[in-house]
Amino acid sequence: MKRSMIFLVVAMMLVLSACSSANNTNTKNEAAKTGSEVKTGEVNLYTSRHYDVDNELYKKFEEETGIKVNVIKGEADELIERIKREGTATKADILLTADVGRLFRAKEDGLLQEVSSDILSKQVPSNYRDTDDMWVGLTKRARVLVYNKDKVKPEDLSTYEALTEDQWKGRVLVRSSESVYNQSLLASFIEINGEEKAKEWAQGIVNNFARNPEGGDRDQAKAIAAGIGDIAIMNTYYFGQMLNSQEPEEVKVAENLGVFFPNQETTGAHVNISGAGVVKGSKNAENALKLLEFLTAEEAQAKFASANYEYPVNNNVEPSELLKSWGEFKEQDIPLSTLGENNAKAIMIFNEVGWK
Amino acid sequence: MNRYLANVNGWTIGAILIIILLFIPNVSIVTGIFSSASENWAHIKEYMLVNYIKSSLTLVFFTAMFTVVIGLSLAWLIAQYDFPLRSFMKWALILPLSIPPFIGAYTYHGIVNYTGVIQKTLRNQFEIVPNPSFFDIMNVPGAIFIYTLFLYPYVYMITRIFLSHQSASLIESARTLGKGPWEIFLKVVIPISRVSIIGGVSLVVLEVLNDYGVVKYFGIQTFSTAIFQTWFGLGDLDSSIKLAASLMGIVIFILIIERILRGGKQYSYSTTKVRPLPLVKLKGKSAVFATMYTLVIFSIAFLVPVIQLMDWVILTFGKVPMGEVLVYTRNSVTVAALSATLIIVFSLIVGNFSRIVHHKFAKLLPKLTILGYSIPGAVIAVAVVTTFIALDRFLAPVYEFIGIDSGLVLSVSLFMLISAYIIRFFAIGYNSIESGFDKIGTDFRDASRMLGVSRLRTFFKIDVPMMKGAIISGFVLVFVDILKEIPLTLILRPFNYDTLATKAFQYASDEKIMEASQASLLIVGVSAIAIIIFHKLLREEPK
Repeated sequence: MKRSMIFLVVAMMLVLSACSSANNTNTKNEAAKTGSEVKTGEVNLYTSRHYDVDNELYKKFEEETGIKVNVIKGEADELIERIKREGTATKADILLTADVGRLFRAKEDGLLQEVSSDILSKQVPSNYRDTDDMWVGLTKRARVLVYNKDKVKPEDLSTYEALTEDQWKGRVLVRSSESVYNQSLLASFIEINGEEKAKEWAQGIVNNFARNPEGGDRDQAKAIAAGIGDIAIMNTYYFGQMLNSQEPEEVKVAENLGVFFPNQETTGAHVNISGAGVVKGSKNAENALKLLEFLTAEEAQAKFASANYEYPVNNNVEPSELLKSWGEFKEQDIPLSTLGENNAKAIMIFNEVGWK
Repeated sequence: MNRYLANVNGWTIGAILIIILLFIPNVSIVTGIFSSASENWAHIKEYMLVNYIKSSLTLVFFTAMFTVVIGLSLAWLIAQYDFPLRSFMKWALILPLSIPPFIGAYTYHGIVNYTGVIQKTLRNQFEIVPNPSFFDIMNVPGAIFIYTLFLYPYVYMITRIFLSHQSASLIESARTLGKGPWEIFLKVVIPISRVSIIGGVSLVVLEVLNDYGVVKYFGIQTFSTAIFQTWFGLGDLDSSIKLAASLMGIVIFILIIERILRGGKQYSYSTTKVRPLPLVKLKGKSAVFATMYTLVIFSIAFLVPVIQLMDWVILTFGKVPMGEVLVYTRNSVTVAALSATLIIVFSLIVGNFSRIVHHKFAKLLPKLTILGYSIPGAVIAVAVVTTFIALDRFLAPVYEFIGIDSGLVLSVSLFMLISAYIIRFFAIGYNSIESGFDKIGTDFRDASRMLGVSRLRTFFKIDVPMMKGAIISGFVLVFVDILKEIPLTLILRPFNYDTLATKAFQYASDEKIMEASQASLLIVGVSAIAIIIFHKLLREEPK
């Protein structure tokens, strides 16, 4: 018995080490293969976007250029911290995030380098690029109002600010302040209306909460259907996902809701982007630029944006049919980097007014 | 002094080396507690700390209570009685451990929310529109429910193995003395399994303290929320490390209490025959009750969520790319098995050291390694990255010498991830091994040494066989835990390295729980296979 136990342990270790060395030779073989077949190299990506369509596009890029795309997916802040600690030795060439605030932070920390080309400037309008060309937008999403068609008439809706009025008491649904989308929203109000007004707004929303914030964006829409509240603040693409859900019941919920782009007569609806920058010290900066050009080109943009119900940044590309059906809308006219600049202030305001 | 020097041998050196290696990355966090406060600190203290600590303590207290009640009662039933379905339940009741709590939270919310199966059916088939707040689980009681369901197996598994393998003589004596079942339970079972219960529940407590997935989704603000809000939101990593260090402080406090609770009486074997406890056959009502009770727990903690996941897999079939599913599965299994093996080997070395060296220091030192399990994985990840990059810098001349043209070697390899797992999950393996050592005491070992058998031979011939149960259960716990681990895997993996857990997280983090079901179900499947295999191994008793 004892002997068999020892035997078992030893055997297991042998198998495991065989496995892992097999693993290694595999990757080595692959590396050798790609090395001999194509000599155009690679590009290393740290990304916090988790969508399947991204992988498809990277594959396409590989096919077209022969440049291998290596990916580590993680949470933006953790990836930024890893790049920071890796310093000049970092293997990362591109940092891609789903929120402009994180790109701003990476820039502030001196982790990014300038990335520009005629192609990029042509494909991406300047308001979706950093003023110092440290990052470039890839897709955009709007944070809008979603309402119960039976109980709310679109005429009753106007602005984000109007949601703080008494008529909405106990009717407003929104997720917790931990969501970066809410942080960016408040950050934009700090920029547009000033800190004091922004705090009044946050306080006003808290006063009108239909319930304490819980769940994600989709859960707010469902809470409208369940009758907990009448109006929710949520991102456009979550709503798009619900309309196209595999679960018929979710589709039913979404179909009873209307989308409203607020502040159209005033400051515009809140827009955030997912975007990317080239990491300082990148060893494959040229390839990185190629990938960014590829992702913002018309072909990729059409796929990139429509697969996830986001808006393309490239003006030559039309949004998907669904997004078009919601109509065109006016966007906030502020430099996107201010969303990052005001992020910490926004958190503090949320804490102070008790927005969980 | 000489007395201690006499103890210096391979075990001591090996153990101390392991402990130091495990502890080094944590140093940068511990020192964070002394760092000067940033301008954000006042804000954090005023608006975040008090409330967040309160809800953390509420979660910890009730989860601990319920996991002990459920875990211990199940362990006792299974260890002591025979009833229909018992042999199935024996291992099936561990299965909920294979469901990561955040997946459990998403799944249960998916079941009970407005578009979930319950409300949907009531609404569409029966035209009943229930009050939605009745089905709201996204609150503190809901989180306690989720944690209890998916964490009680820690208590159950450790206590059950202890009771069925190592308590026979004591419980039998009590039976012979004519004690009734309740009296045996209260006067014998609880006192003798105290070490196992505390061992199990302290894992539960640590797991709850550092969990971020469930509370984030539910919108509950806890201590780990504060850590991440400070880091991600305020962009103030230093303050968040300071918070993490305070959390470590709390954990050290819990450990000291555990020591005190555990101290005092020792119950070790009085005979070399480690034999199973003979079962009492239940009849009639009590048999029905026992079967029903275990069945209910098994259903809500495993069967129901798994059926829901299967339903979603079918619903999204063809919509989720299947392509490299085998690769993810292989990655998950390899890295988890390798890390778990290393953890058990290290735990045996350290545990043996702690047992044979009679010095307070030797008992306390291994406890420091539990710190890795006490704080959120993402914070550990920062510490590990820092350590490995420093190591790479240190080794740069070596790399150059052997002709590697790159500054970073270790820190972009799987080696970093495996080391991080060891740092994080050592406590799980060690806990199991330690209670195993606690149980066998040192008498047999001393006898063997007295007879002139070498230390190593004694260890393999005497200790290891007696501890088979502890070794196997430790391995399974660690294996399953690594299989579902998220933050470390996400941030420390090499390029293009995906596991089942990262795949599941990829979808779940974007509220696509249906799409996440495929990878989640595979995690559950692989864990279940591991649990079954080791259950079989455990069942063949030493002849």
